[in-house]
Amino acid sequence: MAPTRTVKNKHAANGSGIKNSKAARGPQSDGIVKPKKPGTKPTPTSVKQLTKKKKKKVYTEKELGIPQLNMITPVGVEKPKGKKKGKVFVDDPASMSTILAIVQAEKEGQIESKMIKARQLEEIREARRIEAEKKEEERKNKLEETKEGLRKKRKRPRTGDDTDAIVKEASVTGSKAKKPKKRVAFAE
Amino acid sequence: MRPLTEQETQTLFAKLANYTGASLKNLIAPLDDSPNADRYVFRLVRDRVYYVRLSIANLASNVARENLLALGTCLGKFSKTGKFRLHITALPILAQHARYKVWVKSNGEMPFLYGGNIVKAHVGRWSEDCPEHQGVVVYSMNDTPLGFGVTARSTAEARRLDPTGIVCFRQADCGEYLRDEDTLFAG
Repeated sequence: MAPTRTVKNKHAANGSGIKNSKAARGPQSDGIVKPKKPGTKPTPTSVKQLTKKKKKKVYTEKELGIPQLNMITPVGVEKPKGKKKGKVFVDDPASMSTILAIVQAEKEGQIESKMIKARQLEEIREARRIEAEKKEEERKNKLEETKEGLRKKRKRPRTGDDTDAIVKEASVTGSKAKKPKKRVAFAE
Repeated sequence: MRPLTEQETQTLFAKLANYTGASLKNLIAPLDDSPNADRYVFRLVRDRVYYVRLSIANLASNVARENLLALGTCLGKFSKTGKFRLHITALPILAQHARYKVWVKSNGEMPFLYGGNIVKAHVGRWSEDCPEHQGVVVYSMNDTPLGFGVTARSTAEARRLDPTGIVCFRQADCGEYLRDEDTLFAG
């Protein structure tokens, strides 16, 4: 059921009743709200509406800086934006001496590290040499000792006691040393 | 003819610093104390680097590119790969500021000047504490610079070397003035 609307004053519906008044000039409404036509533009009234409807800026490809071809550009081909075209020369003495100082410091460091390395290697070599010499000495000593020991061992049988013992033994055993000859006797 | 770029200057100085000591900075120092004093600059003509007075370089800018053969002292040339190669013509400058030196005996002068490396038997004197693979300037015993090279051994190691062992690899020698006459100054 549609809601009913009571109109108290039929003539009062047209505004104040004064001719040419704002209310009288407008379209006559009979109290029923009609849906708006799609073609008609609503007049912007509030600030909010104004900002909402602002036209968005359309950027061109150039402005966005998008490469023309969708591919990787080689390093040499790519030109940096806002930079001077061509080579940058170094001709003022200040920048030249700065470069020179940097290069010299670098070289100095390299030479220094080379020297330190060489010195360390030399030290290691020296230590190794000393160790090798020591080992050689030890080996020689050991060899000498063994030689001496062997010499002594060989000499022992020739020493006085030993020779005497041998002589004694020989003299004691003398002829006895030989085993008695086996004799065979035949029955006579 | 143009001045060197930053990269080129760096490469050039790195090469020079192989042979020279701290006095290298005198190379680019102004000649006197006046505000507009003349000084030496580096100029690139085709691929060669020249060490020349600024006033002369400015005068040379009047000469057309194809007519300008050389100016000042040629230090060397840039290779196609961007490396720098010192020429024998740079010897006077290197000899002035040399850091490490080798003096060869008279019997070793000719073998060196004919393009040979320096063997231990030919060395008369050495700079002490010279590391391996370090640039050295080669002198005769009467202090005439003959060329330059790179050490093969450090001084300490070279002492233990046998007489035929190489102590210095030749990089450039004065014999090149005759041997490389055609290509040394042009082409």
